[in-house]
Amino acid sequence: MAKHTCPRAGGSPLHTRPRAVVCAGLVCVLVGAMLSLVGCGENGSKADEVIVNGSTTILPIAEIAAEQYMEENPDISVLVSGVGSSAGIETVSKGSSDIGASSRDLKPEEAPLGLIDTPIAYDAIAVIVNPDNPVRELTTEQVRGIFSGRITNWNELGGPDLDIGLVNRDEASGTREAFKKIVMGDESFYIGAVILPGTGQVRAVVTDAPGAVGYISLGFVNDDIKAVTIDGIVPSEEAVVAGTYPISRILHCFTKGAPEGLIKDFLDYMLSPAVQDSIVRDAGFIPITAKEALGG
Amino acid sequence: MADQPITTGAPAEKKSTLKLMSKATYAKEAALRSVFLVCATVAVAGVALIFVFVGVRGWPIIQDPGLGAFLFGKVWSSSAGEFGILPLVTGTFAITIGSLVLGAPLAVGTAVFLSEIASPKVRSIVRPAVELLAGVPSVVYGFFGLIILRPIIADITGGLGFGPLTASIVLAVMIVPTIATLTEDALGSVVPGIREASYAMGATTWQTIHKVLLPAASVGIIDAVILGMGRAVGETMAVVMLAGNAPQFFKGPGEPISTLTSQIVIDMSYASGTHRTALFAMAVILFLISMGLVALVRLISSRKETR
Amino acid sequence: MDKRLTNRIAVSFLWFCAATTVAVLGAVILYVFVNGIGQLSPAFIFTKPHGVNFEGGIGPTIVSTLYVTALAMLIVTPIGVLAAVYLAEYAVQGRLVRIIRFAADSLASVPSIIMGLFGLALFVESMHIGFSMISAALALSFLMLPIVMRTTEEAIRAVPRYIRWGSYGLGASKWQTVSRVVLPAAMSRILTGLILASGRAVGETAVVIFTMGQAIHLPISPLESGRPMTVHLYMLAMEGINLPAAYGTALLLMIMILFFNLTARWLLRRNRRMQG
Repeated sequence: MAKHTCPRAGGSPLHTRPRAVVCAGLVCVLVGAMLSLVGCGENGSKADEVIVNGSTTILPIAEIAAEQYMEENPDISVLVSGVGSSAGIETVSKGSSDIGASSRDLKPEEAPLGLIDTPIAYDAIAVIVNPDNPVRELTTEQVRGIFSGRITNWNELGGPDLDIGLVNRDEASGTREAFKKIVMGDESFYIGAVILPGTGQVRAVVTDAPGAVGYISLGFVNDDIKAVTIDGIVPSEEAVVAGTYPISRILHCFTKGAPEGLIKDFLDYMLSPAVQDSIVRDAGFIPITAKEALGG
Repeated sequence: MADQPITTGAPAEKKSTLKLMSKATYAKEAALRSVFLVCATVAVAGVALIFVFVGVRGWPIIQDPGLGAFLFGKVWSSSAGEFGILPLVTGTFAITIGSLVLGAPLAVGTAVFLSEIASPKVRSIVRPAVELLAGVPSVVYGFFGLIILRPIIADITGGLGFGPLTASIVLAVMIVPTIATLTEDALGSVVPGIREASYAMGATTWQTIHKVLLPAASVGIIDAVILGMGRAVGETMAVVMLAGNAPQFFKGPGEPISTLTSQIVIDMSYASGTHRTALFAMAVILFLISMGLVALVRLISSRKETR
Repeated sequence: MDKRLTNRIAVSFLWFCAATTVAVLGAVILYVFVNGIGQLSPAFIFTKPHGVNFEGGIGPTIVSTLYVTALAMLIVTPIGVLAAVYLAEYAVQGRLVRIIRFAADSLASVPSIIMGLFGLALFVESMHIGFSMISAALALSFLMLPIVMRTTEEAIRAVPRYIRWGSYGLGASKWQTVSRVVLPAAMSRILTGLILASGRAVGETAVVIFTMGQAIHLPISPLESGRPMTVHLYMLAMEGINLPAAYGTALLLMIMILFFNLTARWLLRRNRRMQG
């Protein structure tokens, strides 16, 4: 091949350009291949490693926390992957990961696995409506009726004669998973709901459509929309911390036995203000430390 | 299949060129020729590879839930384990037809304007604009539609603004460049002289366009619209952002709907098992649709040539 | 009805069509520009995003986009140009050429989402390359191949016949004629096609979202993953929390696309002037 592309010299230099381009291309491909080999070699395992597996709900905060932690401790690597709560609990109990992140409590059959719980945040979900909508109070049963498509007009809930515009999240969303588990139970979501893959879009749609209803993490509620009371409980940090607000859950980090050494160091970092007051809040969750702050 | 023409082609060349070049030169020429041929067949290999690798992953759909349940099933619900794509197919066609109804006249009108009416100066503004419209990334269109168009449609329809209408309007803009460029080519290749003949008979610009040029270029325009349709069927990101992604049958222009492409993007990140198989099988269906449209264009063009 | 009146109505409709097309483009550009210009700063372009809602810059996504585009060009340029040389200079009309052209047309009309799933199935999973720059570049190059083939073939065919006759008349072989006479003459039009194809790669979303991964990462080797600007914009827009960064990303994307398109036009015009 090389012989063919570099035949006898001669001809004006002006006319050698296409060949030069081809040759340059080949060189670049070769360099690229070499670079990739070097890249492979670098991927040796580091001795100080913390592996976090589990819930995709916790993934965003765990990833950012891990990133910041590694910046402060360059010789330690924290590997985070979202595999779901159950898989997270399974891997940590088998020892193939160090921390199992879970958005649910342990099931009875998981109790004898010897896992120790470090709660890291509250995940509370607010049901939001347009500020012009006079409906301010709903029961869990009514919310279930709305999202399963049984209740289709606000006048069934004491509001105006206005069609309900349902906004749901995509199935990859941790918020949807929590909402389904806590509110929907065995009922399935109405198939005609608008599916949006992001919190901010749900909020934007509810902001400008009078009949819209959706759900978002409590931390993302702002003045553009109205969060309704559920079973008479105002969705607030106090109510969540006190455990009275129904649509909430605790996010856990499970370890096999009491956390020690590096694992404890990382979990302590997760509980420090650097994570709790910025990352956890930015993700729309309520810090686990809010309990002490509120004197609960 | 690939080496057949080389063996049949080489001897023919040998006869005519042997006397003119040395053996070494001849060998080099033949080798280069086959290198080029291999490059040219990469396109064929690409189509085959896509079929094989997407197809293999979609194939098990034949067994579970079966081709009938897959193609004609009325419910798409991953949590219920039901993967019928009929609502998604109707959604795809609703949005495609909507975008063609809005976009094709706009595109053909723009092309006629460019080729028959615009002065060179105006043309030098409009034509680059059409080409740039083709270059705008589909996420940017989706973003624009999401922030600007959706609230307006919500006000008009009284819904949430996600649905076939919003998606069709944005898609209409996106297919304008495809249709307009090809239509302009078709108008440009109309036999010279008939335009002048028409004007000489005292016909107005519109009469010439309407009675002479459009009929003369009709095959090319139909091709252009079909290829624009292909673009609309396959468009993904703008549709995901605007259609509402509810896998239900068409209920109205302002009610959410889902398409083959948007459902793939929404579901792919977490799908597994039969669900994932179904998504790959949907890609095969899309591929068949787009290849079918290309084949249709070829058929129409070859009909015209034989006529 | 008076034919002049009909004519006037029809012609104004055609003006309306053209004006709408231009106005839509103007509106999109203006909208993105007005909302995004406040975001643009060296910090936005060069630093990396931080936090849950991607505050700060978008540096790594710009690098990922340029990286994958350059890599895809390296792959597609030799193959696409040589394939076009075959079709324009060597091929004899026949079954094989018809099949190649049909395949190229099909490839050109394949929805990009299919190219994404194809890349995921073949490069990421079957070949175990994983989410990476090279997987994305390979998938993108299949998308760009028909564009490069078509523009290059047109460029080669636009080279006047008599130039070739001159070369043959001097005793040059076919390859000598192609490489030293035809390709140099067609070079600027070929480059135009390549630039337009890169523009396509920069703006592509559905292909890269399934082949490059979505984690924000500054790619060094081709085996590393990353998140390109288009995917970043999609996620920012749909998440809807950090819209200013979405506007900024959209503006930078538009600037890059405009740059590619204008460069291509400039090259073409320069070429025309030199030949004319």
